[in-house]
Amino acid sequence: MFDTTNFQPLLARRYTLEVRQQMAWYWQAQVIALALLVGMLISAAILVSAGVPAGELLNEFVILTLFDSQSLRAVLFQAAPLIMVGLAGCLAFRARFWNLGLEGQMIWGAIGATAISLFEIGPPSLRLPLMMVCAMACGLLWALAPVLLKLHLKVNEIISTLMLNYIAINFLLHLVYGSWKDPRDSFPYSPQYKVFERLPELFDGVSLAVVLALVVALFVLWFTGISRAGLYLRFVDSSPGVARAVGVPVKRVILGTVLLSGALAGLAGLMITAGQEGRLTHSFYAGYGFSGILIAFLARNQPIAATVVAVLVATLFVAGRSLQVFYQIPFSMVQLIQAILVICVASSEFFIRHRIRRIQGGQV
Amino acid sequence: MSNPNAIRLDSVSKSFDGFKALSEASFTARWGEVHALLGENGAGKSSLMNIAAGLYAPETGSLFIDDNPVRLKGPLDAAAQGIGMVHQHFKLVKPFTVAENILLGLRHLQAGTYRQRLAQTAEQITAMAASLGFSIEPHARVDQLSVAEQQRVEILKVLLAGARILILDEPTAVLTDAEAENLLTTVQHFAHQEGAAVILVTHKMNDVMRYADQVTVMRTGSTVASLKPQTVSVGELVKLTVGDAPTPPQIPSSRDAGEVRLAVRDLRSSGDAPALRGVNLELRAGEIYGIAGVGGNGQSELAGALMGLPEPVSGEMELVGEGDLNSLSAARRRELGIACIPADRYSSALAAPLSISDNFAMGDVHSGRYGPFWFLRRKRIEADTAAAVAEFDVQGVRSLQQKAALLSGGNAQKLVIAREFARIPQLVIVHSPSRGLDVRATLAVHERLRSARDAGAAVLLISEDLDEVMALADRIGVMSAGRIIGEFAQPADRQAIGQAMVNHV
Repeated sequence: MFDTTNFQPLLARRYTLEVRQQMAWYWQAQVIALALLVGMLISAAILVSAGVPAGELLNEFVILTLFDSQSLRAVLFQAAPLIMVGLAGCLAFRARFWNLGLEGQMIWGAIGATAISLFEIGPPSLRLPLMMVCAMACGLLWALAPVLLKLHLKVNEIISTLMLNYIAINFLLHLVYGSWKDPRDSFPYSPQYKVFERLPELFDGVSLAVVLALVVALFVLWFTGISRAGLYLRFVDSSPGVARAVGVPVKRVILGTVLLSGALAGLAGLMITAGQEGRLTHSFYAGYGFSGILIAFLARNQPIAATVVAVLVATLFVAGRSLQVFYQIPFSMVQLIQAILVICVASSEFFIRHRIRRIQGGQV
Repeated sequence: MSNPNAIRLDSVSKSFDGFKALSEASFTARWGEVHALLGENGAGKSSLMNIAAGLYAPETGSLFIDDNPVRLKGPLDAAAQGIGMVHQHFKLVKPFTVAENILLGLRHLQAGTYRQRLAQTAEQITAMAASLGFSIEPHARVDQLSVAEQQRVEILKVLLAGARILILDEPTAVLTDAEAENLLTTVQHFAHQEGAAVILVTHKMNDVMRYADQVTVMRTGSTVASLKPQTVSVGELVKLTVGDAPTPPQIPSSRDAGEVRLAVRDLRSSGDAPALRGVNLELRAGEIYGIAGVGGNGQSELAGALMGLPEPVSGEMELVGEGDLNSLSAARRRELGIACIPADRYSSALAAPLSISDNFAMGDVHSGRYGPFWFLRRKRIEADTAAAVAEFDVQGVRSLQQKAALLSGGNAQKLVIAREFARIPQLVIVHSPSRGLDVRATLAVHERLRSARDAGAAVLLISEDLDEVMALADRIGVMSAGRIIGEFAQPADRQAIGQAMVNHV
């Protein structure tokens, strides 16, 4: 016989909420994966209601983008600058510096690279490396003012980095509508880079940008995980007061990490101009700053996870573009989906920090 | 003969993440008595009382108030039943005023506009404070009050919310002797004269012997005895709490102190109300120099300055043979064997969310022992940490990768000492090393300090606990109003030191 004495309807059961002290990383990964799945289901529902046939979703997002070698290359190509801004975000956030100026630093990186191209500095064989160095230096310099202001005068970096973005954007517009305008067709972009100024394809259609992004990801992994700076950074991240007391050179660690973050963002700018567009355009940066923050957040500031997340976001970008073409879905839908995924993962934090337990009946 | 039961917990069990914090613990407190709940750190005292205050739900067992079974859904429920708890770590909104903080807990009890209620609350605060024998400014901001005053705000908060069963979690841990006496007399009055029930969670034997009418002893999650403190000796009580009797604190063995190792001359802090107003002291190798004093007389600032924290000070701190102590880099301080054990472990010694091995590695990472700048030698860090954890008897380490936050207070302190003593210490600066520790952990910490001294280290012990200073120091300086106002050599007269601490203003 079915035992009914112990049976309670689901909603009549009593549950308690407990604070969990520690959760193994593989459980955390499963919780986050589940959250992503929920987010994807919600996104799918929205896309279907917007007119994309349900049967086509899997086709568009998975099969056509990841299993088609040409699309896969497009995804990786798209992923490279996203990986860079994601890593830049991870670094700055680990130093507890809310760098919202990733876009401004990208813009300066791109401007720096374009200046080298425009003024034909250095011999052709050294032109591309020179552009990279200049892009990194420009991104780094654009991060220098806010970090110094924060360290010495306690100026809130959220405001300063964000505001500096507008200066960078308007300066970019000043250049591409003004003296750097392409004289050939008067559109708001710079003259086209020469062939040796563009990031080459290395093998099998894989761009240098992709390889560069992976190398930088490994570098960040080394920096945060293997070097002594990583240990210092963990202390700064968990408690600046303790870090100072136990002898971490807190200011130098923050300064160095944030400048590195700016340099990586500058390099991301170069990846778009010298990799994708082949010139400085007036809106190449759009959406990358937000995506970088989002990637770092979803990856919990872990460099390898950031690389994976950046590839997923790139898939979304690429699939979003084809949805735009085939189903007239606006590109803002891609940002909507991003936001849904972020909210789902952020909510999953609750289940990582808490445990829900059923209270056995009859006991108080 | 005895009063009726106020609150009774019957066979209560509770576990956290697999760890059994309480197993079948039972506890009864009566109206009109001060009931001490005694036990070592981690014995389950706070967990049991958090259940009584409605913060945790028990897994098994039941709760009775006035011998009626009740089920508490939360602290608000508990407050409705007349239970109020003052936590060890105060739950006050720092930038708010006293009246605002208290109103926050009363908002469901009062009518009227916000301003009316605030004025009404302020009146109630003044009246209640007067009836308890102290005064407090209702419109003062909480972050401008001393710790003792903040505690009074907490007590007023629960009493104004109508508490008749008052639970105080380690109330004297943060207070000086005089403040503690004041507080305990007040709550004793509240129980004896007004018939309330006061539960005193503590690990201080003296408080129990002097103020409690009844004591329940807890050990490893269970209640092991409930008795009248007058019927037993301190020794027996200690034996009940720790299981076996620890050795009593010994008088420091005096040996000839060596050369002067640290000379502090005319150390002053800047600002309108400087905490340090010209500290002079000499610390010799092979001695423990104790700084006694009522809390808030510049001890924290002195400790901070010597430990290399950013304290705005002028004057000299000369490390003999090396020059200015503050100009040394973190790496050089380590090389010279300077060990710092600050009072607040989680705000200045350990990074709570980081692993035990990360926390330990910080001690010697500057020297390059754990590899050059570009590479951390994890194996060596782990081996060193494991050895230190074993040597310094740090308990509760399930894995070296576990967060330091999961260690109990005593074990966290042992980890700090293990790190600081990883090299043979030459100069040790300790501030309140046994704050919040139980008897056994305190003894272990004291033993470490003594053996460091016997190995030739110069130890500066800054402590607000006079018993600790008396038990450890070879020489005692009394600190008052930012100066050392008197020095005593051992054997020193406790009375005379106590007098010096309070007389000089």
